Amino acid sequence: MASMLLSQVANGVGIGIIYFMIAVGMSITFGMMRFLNIAHGGFYLLGAYVGFELVQQTGSFWFALVGAPICIGLVAWLSEPAFSVLYRLSHNMQILATLGLALVIQETVVLVWDTVGKHVAAPGGLVGAVAFGDFVYPRYRLFVICVGVVLAAGLWLLLERTNYGAVLRAGTQSTDDIELLGIDIRRVFAATFGLGAGLAGLAGVLAAPIRGVEPFMGPEALAIAFVVVVVGGLGSFFGALAGGLLIGIIQSTTSVFWPAASGVAMYVGMAAIMLIRPRGLLGRA
Amino acid sequence: MSRYGTNCAQSTREILGLIATVALLPAVLPSVSLATECVIFVIATLGCNLLLGRVGLLSFGQGIFFGAGSYATGLAIVRLGAGPVFSLSAALLLGSMVAALIGSLAARRRGVYFIMLTLAFTQMCYFLAFGMSGVTGGDNGLLGVSRPPLSFLGTTLLPLDSDLSFYALCSIICVAVYALLARVTGSPFGAVLVAIRENESRTFAVGYNPLAYKILAFVLSGMVTAVAGGLYAMFLRFVPLSNIDISMSERILIMTMLGGVGSLFGGVIGAVTVVVLSHLLSDLWSRWILLLGLVLIVVAVCLPGGLWSALQWIATALRRGVIGMSPRRAHLPLEK
Repeated sequence: MASMLLSQVANGVGIGIIYFMIAVGMSITFGMMRFLNIAHGGFYLLGAYVGFELVQQTGSFWFALVGAPICIGLVAWLSEPAFSVLYRLSHNMQILATLGLALVIQETVVLVWDTVGKHVAAPGGLVGAVAFGDFVYPRYRLFVICVGVVLAAGLWLLLERTNYGAVLRAGTQSTDDIELLGIDIRRVFAATFGLGAGLAGLAGVLAAPIRGVEPFMGPEALAIAFVVVVVGGLGSFFGALAGGLLIGIIQSTTSVFWPAASGVAMYVGMAAIMLIRPRGLLGRA
Repeated sequence: MSRYGTNCAQSTREILGLIATVALLPAVLPSVSLATECVIFVIATLGCNLLLGRVGLLSFGQGIFFGAGSYATGLAIVRLGAGPVFSLSAALLLGSMVAALIGSLAARRRGVYFIMLTLAFTQMCYFLAFGMSGVTGGDNGLLGVSRPPLSFLGTTLLPLDSDLSFYALCSIICVAVYALLARVTGSPFGAVLVAIRENESRTFAVGYNPLAYKILAFVLSGMVTAVAGGLYAMFLRFVPLSNIDISMSERILIMTMLGGVGSLFGGVIGAVTVVVLSHLLSDLWSRWILLLGLVLIVVAVCLPGGLWSALQWIATALRRGVIGMSPRRAHLPLEK
């Protein structure tokens, strides 16, 4: 039982890291530009499909793992000026426009890759399980956890220890003050938008061998990103990390005790946290 | 149009317009069932419009109420063998209870948090319906929903088996709901809802409790949307799981916003446009949603008032051209 629980907590951390990657981009984008992007789930979807295509073409999962997120990030970064039309719209119209964009992305994916789900195999070295004494754990999931930990640490360094990170953090507080310092906030924002999209794309590639790839996985990712952000607090890096991990662990441990409720558990957790602490774990009031 | 609710003459005109629309739809459209689908989704957009247009609450949770209404009606017919009045009342009741619950949780947060919460709750209710497959039929849907005749004390008043009689029932309900909501939005209660949209803190300072009003608006919206869901269950003769998923919420929201929330009538235009287009275009090109997505982007950027504001603009331009009304009285209804 203890080892089963441990393995579910580990699963939860793995899923939670993926949730974190989906949510953090949307959260920071909103924090800086007050721009709510319903199409953010589309980056996750595109990441999974571009990853699938790269695996098909090159036969290398590693190439897809690096190539797909860079691809998605670059496209988002370059197309950011087109998004800037939306910043001055009301939130409701931003939602309508990005909802439209989400549909365009989803239908384009169907046009290119068909509606039938695809399977992406984990690379050869990550098939099977590793044993630590009594505790046996799938290699691929362990790999996802490692990637996530490295990535979260790298992001933390980027945000806390670099000039770019300082500008970005300041930007989520007040974009006007940043501009008064003579910094072109638009360029910083375009880069951040690309980074967030790339992270969602990476989440898509990492999730592909676990859950498969299908054209309707976008809204699901969007709902998860919302839950993570509500739990963790909007615009906060650590909020997204804490929210993602907590939601992931809640989801996977419920699947041991009460499998039927594992789909609903994270939303119940969200409602509970919202009632106890309305601004989220690490959100500002 | 007055900024704070519609005046009486205008709502009477709109109701007459709606009656003309529902009378013409079966004649103009290729089939009565297509007209029925239009009218059912008009009811659903009316519920959505009350929240979005009056209170300014963009809810991704309308699919919950629609689905709850579908299941309530479907179960009442399948399990209890109930008639249409009882089954639709069951939808009304369940819809208002679910809406009170969701509303009292989600309306505690404002702005984007509210929007995110409604979407998350939609996903939660989808998983609930999926998990409770003993009751809802899960992925297979709830099968065997019939259309029991409308009867009173054993005498059949209206058999609903034929498409035309079912359409008549839907149309009557649609017009009644419209009249009810026009009355509500024109009432002092409706004025408070608009006040909350314009400035929630000030409304609170004046002595109204915004949360209570928001929850009441949610209950009303949930009731209306659930009735639409109940009618849809009877229309399809089964309840697919898709009645309660995110895409149903998106569909209702898209219809409402495409039509425009400046007036209740906007939803009528939005619902009829989307339902008819989806029917015509899905035969030609199965990926027509891509075009719909592009249209939504254009509407959001160029026409924030939706199709309704475009129609009003055209009407104003025509009146100016034909009657030569002085430019002083003509105004651009495009909201900014």
